Amino acid sequence: MPRISLQGVVKHYGGIKAADGLDLEVNNGEYLCLLGPTGAGKTTALRIICGLTRMDKGDVLFDGKSMVNLEPEDRKAVMLSQTYALFPQLTVAENILFGPNIREMPQEVKDRTLADMLDLVRLTHRPDALPRELSGGMQQRTALARALATGVDVLLLDEPLRALDARLRISLRHELRSLAKSLGITTIHVTHDQDEALVMADRIAVIREGRIVQVGTPAQIFDDPVSPFVANFVGQSNFFVGVVEEKREATLVRGEKGHVVLARPCEQGLGEKVVVGVKVGNTEVHKGGEGFFEGRVERILFEGRNIFLDVDVPELGRLSSKIPSWRLGRLAVGDLVKLNWSADKANVFAMPTHGLERELKVE
Amino acid sequence: MMSRLARATEFVSKRSFRQLWLGFVILFFLGFVILPTLYVLTYAFTNWDLIQSEVLSNSEIMSQIWTAIANSFEIAAIVTVIDILFGLPMAWILVRKNFRGKQLIDTLIDMPLAVPTAALGFSAAIFWGITPTDLTNPLGLKIISSPFLLIILLHVVFSYPYMVRSLSAILEQIDQTFEVAGRTLGASPLTAARTITLPLFRAGLVTGIILCFARSLSETGGTVAALATISNTDFNTAPTLIDSLQSTPALAFTSIVLIILALVLLVIVAFVVKRVHIPIRKVWPRPERILSRNLGPKFKDVTSVLFLTFIVLIPSFFVFTFVFTSSPSTTTDWSTFGEALFNSFLIAGVVTIIDLALGVPLALYIAKGRSKRLPEALDILVNVPLIVPTVALGFSLKLFWVGGEPVSGPFAIFLVMLAHIAFTYPLMVRNVTGAVEEIDPTFEETARTLGAKPVQSFKRVLLPMIKASILAGAIMAFTRSLGETGATRAISTTVLTAPNYIVNLVKGVKDYYTAALACIILIILSYALMLLLRYITRRRKEAS
Repeated sequence: MPRISLQGVVKHYGGIKAADGLDLEVNNGEYLCLLGPTGAGKTTALRIICGLTRMDKGDVLFDGKSMVNLEPEDRKAVMLSQTYALFPQLTVAENILFGPNIREMPQEVKDRTLADMLDLVRLTHRPDALPRELSGGMQQRTALARALATGVDVLLLDEPLRALDARLRISLRHELRSLAKSLGITTIHVTHDQDEALVMADRIAVIREGRIVQVGTPAQIFDDPVSPFVANFVGQSNFFVGVVEEKREATLVRGEKGHVVLARPCEQGLGEKVVVGVKVGNTEVHKGGEGFFEGRVERILFEGRNIFLDVDVPELGRLSSKIPSWRLGRLAVGDLVKLNWSADKANVFAMPTHGLERELKVE
Repeated sequence: MMSRLARATEFVSKRSFRQLWLGFVILFFLGFVILPTLYVLTYAFTNWDLIQSEVLSNSEIMSQIWTAIANSFEIAAIVTVIDILFGLPMAWILVRKNFRGKQLIDTLIDMPLAVPTAALGFSAAIFWGITPTDLTNPLGLKIISSPFLLIILLHVVFSYPYMVRSLSAILEQIDQTFEVAGRTLGASPLTAARTITLPLFRAGLVTGIILCFARSLSETGGTVAALATISNTDFNTAPTLIDSLQSTPALAFTSIVLIILALVLLVIVAFVVKRVHIPIRKVWPRPERILSRNLGPKFKDVTSVLFLTFIVLIPSFFVFTFVFTSSPSTTTDWSTFGEALFNSFLIAGVVTIIDLALGVPLALYIAKGRSKRLPEALDILVNVPLIVPTVALGFSLKLFWVGGEPVSGPFAIFLVMLAHIAFTYPLMVRNVTGAVEEIDPTFEETARTLGAKPVQSFKRVLLPMIKASILAGAIMAFTRSLGETGATRAISTTVLTAPNYIVNLVKGVKDYYTAALACIILIILSYALMLLLRYITRRRKEAS
């Protein structure tokens, strides 16, 4: 299966930059999630890889071979759209055999492929059903079988789980990933759902405004984000703006209003303006003891396993925290609480040139 | 065999071949459809002196032309208004109501579309008109003596189905939840329908108005037949005037004026209906509630059905009574009628095949190239032959190919084919464009990534989905060609097609009995075709 690389891909639609110098390497057999907000250029990237959209500039290589002049049908890269695009007039079996029929494979090969695929996606009992007679999950599996029956090298999944209901979506995550991994297919899975990406991916590529912002394992993306945007998009974060005052085993940052917080060691020099970001799940709330800030509980949201707390800190505004829900009875709206975190959970970022608010904006 | 097919697929999938083929299709459209249709406009520049000396300075001809054109536009306007008034409630009944016999009404509405207008004209005239004494017609109402009124009644018959179809197509797409929401917020049914659903109707209304107006404006065969049946000699609409005029400059002048006015009107209608808001915000809760409750809806339903029965259907098929009540003709020449039928079917068949071969590719190009400039422009141009009155189109085409000289024999039939292609081609393109636009492009794109070449993905994925629309377009083109009189007569009044044969019987030799029999045969044949169309479209609905 090929290694895919995108080099400096540029695509404009009128004034909109859907790809703005996109660079990405996907390894042989890797399951990569392309994660980004709506309109970041995720689908455009997929369409450029399979050849449905022609780029303005740049190159797409499979195993070092340029694909630019190859038509979509010659790339062996199958795109699976959000709606699955199962051909409505064909049965499950006919849909699955679409590729083999086009390639005019011998009948016995087709028979074997069909049996294998039906078995693989657990649809042995429904080969003659029409797509509209199937449930969402079955449709999804049929579409997958159709892609695999074609003998694909590259699987491009455009929000494949989006149209399913929440419970099914979660149970299919594992199934989809293990299927692709067991066949060793290079897979790019586009999603805007960070949980999906974290659970499913070998590596995640975060995309924003037509550029890749960060590529890394789910743990890297979650724990070591390269920018406030990534820190906030993948697991919500609290941010604190200040100036580096001390650099020892931890960095000491002082805000405009005199608050002081601790964070990881950083590259920024003394006196430099920085942003400290901490995941809400790593922000602790206590009624007594030590804390960087003190504030009043403004709102408590019960989320099942966790509770989500908004705390109003005078002069700073609202900070949030996610804590286990067994503590629900011990906190109430209006309580005075301290906010704290361990220094090694707090990342330090250079102050974005266009301002923090613009940096965090999701559109 | 397989490899040759594979090689052919390979060849037609080449980008260079596809571009060449597309270029040919576009050139055909421009050169054989648009250019001949509008060619008559150039006559004003090249032969202005002739127009000046023979038409503009001849006050008698001028007054004839202006009266005819004014008649045409007045009739078209009145007909369109009647169509809207009675078409809207009927569309409502068909889409929003469920009752026994709905299928029947649904079928009946389309019937006049299948009947050649020449037959309709004769049929409606013997139903309504005060007929001459040599025409035995005991069952006819004999109440209309004004040709103006008679033509209005006739035009309503064949334009009404267009209005109902355009409006119900839109109504079907309008989500009823809006109206339901309005109802739950306290609006009476009438208020909800009027303020919420009606404003969403604009697109359908534009289509309906343009179709009805253009159909009425360009109708020739039925009008000539109806006027001849009541022995009228001095009343003319623009198409019947063109039909009877001899001098080329006068013909050209009338055609030019007609084409320009029709195009201007198209633009105005499209513009006005889009921009001007019908004052629908104001609400009169009490009277509207009363209208919604008591006899209001019943009255609306009953009137709609009565209108359909007495104004549209009975006049259409009244001709069937005629053969039983009048004495058989002795001079019936069936071999000529047979030849006319053969010619009509030959022309319609060839025309439909060419429409299929060259219309479908253009439709695909237009539907897939949205937001690009050339397809957008072609999309607008495609409407032009639908708006241009077919007599003017026929005359323009004749001027383009043979300089307006008289033609006869097989060559005349060939020219008639070209003329019929010009006005049926848009029907095919419209139908297929609409169907392709409704289909998610992801289907074909997915097929491509699954390894299908463009030709294969069209054949295996798109074609099965739009097959019914292509067939519908083909049958529409076929029946339109079969029933066309105006364009045919503009090429030559002696070309022997079935509608022309009927017109000549009524207008020339006054053999009403044979005309009626010919009408009936033509109606039955056309109706069989329409049943086929309905059968196909029904199956599509069930399949989707």
